[in-house]
Amino acid sequence: MTRGFLPLLALVVTAGVAALAWETEGFRVVTSAGARQLDIERRPRPLPDVRLFDQDGHAFSLGDYKGRPVLVDFIYTRCPTICSALGDDFHRVMDLASGSGSGPQIDLLSISFDPVNDDREALKLYGDRYGATAPHWRIAAPADASGLAALLQSFGVVVIPDGMGGFIHNSAVYLVDAHGRLARLLDPDAPPQLLAQQAVKASVP
Amino acid sequence: MNNNGRLLLIAGAWLILWLRPLRIALEGDMAVHMTVQVPLLIGLGLLLAVSIRGQEPHWLAEADWLGIPGIILVIFGTSFWMLPRALDSAVADPWFDAIKFLSLPLLVGLPLGLSWRRMPPLGRAFIWANFIPKLGAIGGLYLAAPTRLCAYYRLDQQATAGWTLIVIAVALGTLWFIAAFVGWPPQHAAARPPSRDTGSKPGPPLLALPPPYASSR
Amino acid sequence: MTIQAVQTRGGISARAAVLAYVVVCGLVLLLMMVFGLLMRLTQAQWIDIQPDLFYVIMTMHGAGMVGIAGLCGATVMWYFVRRHVPVTTGIFVANLVFFLIGALLILGSGFIGGFGAAWTFLFPLPAHSGDLWSANAAAAYMFGLLFIGVGFLLLHLDIARGILSVYGGLGAALGVKQAFGLAPESEGPPPAVAASTMALIVNILGILLGAAVLVITLVNLYVPSFAFNALAAKNMIFFFGHVFINATIYMAVIAVYEILPVYTHRAWKTNQAFYLAWVLSTVFVLIVYPHHLLMDFAMPTWALVLGQVVSWLSGLPVLLVTAFGALTNVYRSGIKWNTAAGLVFVGAAGWAIGVIPAIADGTIEVNSFMHNTQWVPGHFHTYLLLGTIAMFLGFLTHITPRSNNAWAPTGFWLYVVGGSIFVLAFLTAGAASVPRRYAVHLPSWLPYDRVGSIGAALVVVGVLILVVRFLVSVTSAAPEEAGA
Repeated sequence: MTRGFLPLLALVVTAGVAALAWETEGFRVVTSAGARQLDIERRPRPLPDVRLFDQDGHAFSLGDYKGRPVLVDFIYTRCPTICSALGDDFHRVMDLASGSGSGPQIDLLSISFDPVNDDREALKLYGDRYGATAPHWRIAAPADASGLAALLQSFGVVVIPDGMGGFIHNSAVYLVDAHGRLARLLDPDAPPQLLAQQAVKASVP
Repeated sequence: MNNNGRLLLIAGAWLILWLRPLRIALEGDMAVHMTVQVPLLIGLGLLLAVSIRGQEPHWLAEADWLGIPGIILVIFGTSFWMLPRALDSAVADPWFDAIKFLSLPLLVGLPLGLSWRRMPPLGRAFIWANFIPKLGAIGGLYLAAPTRLCAYYRLDQQATAGWTLIVIAVALGTLWFIAAFVGWPPQHAAARPPSRDTGSKPGPPLLALPPPYASSR
Repeated sequence: MTIQAVQTRGGISARAAVLAYVVVCGLVLLLMMVFGLLMRLTQAQWIDIQPDLFYVIMTMHGAGMVGIAGLCGATVMWYFVRRHVPVTTGIFVANLVFFLIGALLILGSGFIGGFGAAWTFLFPLPAHSGDLWSANAAAAYMFGLLFIGVGFLLLHLDIARGILSVYGGLGAALGVKQAFGLAPESEGPPPAVAASTMALIVNILGILLGAAVLVITLVNLYVPSFAFNALAAKNMIFFFGHVFINATIYMAVIAVYEILPVYTHRAWKTNQAFYLAWVLSTVFVLIVYPHHLLMDFAMPTWALVLGQVVSWLSGLPVLLVTAFGALTNVYRSGIKWNTAAGLVFVGAAGWAIGVIPAIADGTIEVNSFMHNTQWVPGHFHTYLLLGTIAMFLGFLTHITPRSNNAWAPTGFWLYVVGGSIFVLAFLTAGAASVPRRYAVHLPSWLPYDRVGSIGAALVVVGVLILVVRFLVSVTSAAPEEAGA
């Protein structure tokens, strides 16, 4: 062993472990989705008060939900895969939430990120397909492009083209708490009962 | 090529890789990002090491015993940029990408070029023998992942990246084996086998070791 | 040059290192044999061990025996190859240290963590324990194997480095040119070098694939949704497992090449057939592993046919040159038989006989009937107990000081007779369709288990005598040698 070997080794190992620990949030996440989830759970994130319009053409804003928790998902109405599964799930959640009678009511909000194709007609068709009725379950689109960008940014939604005219997006169900903050990311693959249960549980302060 | 020319070449190549259209093209696909852009950046660091070899501070060369600290730095650097989250961030955020553009040449390629020469053959072989299966295993895990690991890449791109890593691992392993089998690079010791010495001396050797190999040189 | 510096400053002498290996091998071997005896006694219903503990013991016995067979082979190989190429004592010692750490982790995973997924840790079983063991226990087992793998990797790479520095390439050290008549037989490498080269080629490749599948299994333990293709994982595991356990005998056989000539006063003949046999066996050992998957209908047919055909050929080349070589070396040599020569000769014979049940089981038609019977443990215990371990015990006896000891022949005969009874009990039970995995053990199967238990007990006593004799001789010889 030479002079300076052990200090240099210690420096390299410390720096290396520190860099890996930093990037993995203390060896808890390796993907950006995992990091986002962890971050949101630790610090619920305030959301921009973006203006939207729903399937009936009514304008509203995210801020209007204050005082009531709301489950949000991101869709595009031509989506053949995950969005239709999400649509079915939301339908079941709505049934479960309205059937429970007591406890905090959950509202549902599906936001389209495809303003080119998703006009009011398309939103209405999508809503009818899954039995969505405003205001308890709104199918909505942002009123303008800057609002869409702000929404995607604050929810951390990444949309990339799938190479076949559609989109691929990181799918999750987002729970916005009664203070209007993004509070939890829920697994879209979980059964609707669990989704509703988690949402109700998480929305109680 | 003289040293200044080489340094100029490295800087020029680095800047070209940083050009936005090329960056977007190379980072647009997961496999290209991992197996073209990242190795190119490491390669620039290796070239840099060739240029400054022998000019590094004496204490550093001394402290880098058998090249171990340098190679461990390389292992950490490559591990970091194999994290799906790091790849994602590099695509999403130009500042994070700048960290990649600096760290891969300076903290991976450069120490690799400097420390590899200090490492004894056994150490080099050990690094190869660990690198190859881990590369293949990571490729296998990309194929096995239930969801997309990177938000910026499609599932089919992830699968392509996985297969690419497996193919590279198999190719490297095969080349390594062939090199050892035929003997490349040629060993400087006499490649002539020593004279035969079997049919040992009679009698049980009472706990004595057989005589060790003694080089004829 | 750095290597030499490490070697001289390492402190521990080559002789002490070999002694440490032999002591560890002897003691761990005995412990694992006792585990095996306990399992046979349980099957004979002479003692009562609950199934969960039985599977832990079976896992420990399997992993421990495979590991210790590797260590026994490595001891023999290093001791003799050191005569022909420069090797590093420090690396040899490091392998033993890695082995002991790995062994502790594995024992802890079993007896503390309850890990009992068999030594083959078939993916994804470690992650589906039914609450019998935790993910951490399974991980301890995987890390144990990784530690042992790292040690063996270092050892093989060091020997490869030494071989390359003398012979230039592994092909030359294997005698490829001699095998195909391109160079004179007299210039070929000595048997110890050819055998070591073969063993390190296959073992390094085996360890590389083993390490990859261990990493994948570890990830799967903690993130079960990473569902790696189970058939691919099984292929990797059996490639690694087959190669590693086969390499133990190809390392240990060096004892036959080096020890028999000492007592017959004749050099071991190396001719073109000898080198060709080693080259062919290198290839065969690498491609024969699909015969472990003959019951996996999802495997492509060509792979299974390859496994069947190659398993008829696999062991044969080296086996034939070794058995024939041993016979010609002994024939009319005027050898004075002693325990060491007898044991290595038994090793060559045990290996030769063990090939018969192996070829039977490697045949698809037979395999569908026999593979779930005790024929299979019968087959590999013949190879390992009467082959590899006999060769190692011959080596141990060979280097035991003061070999004029009345107890050695007793140990030898207990071992050989007990070992034969033990493997024959397995083989006849297999021929009578006694399963090796069962929910209900029929009373009519008990006689096989009881005869096998008696054989196993005799083996344990025989090995105990040989090992104790070695320990006593070494401890009493040490002061004299220190004084000399």
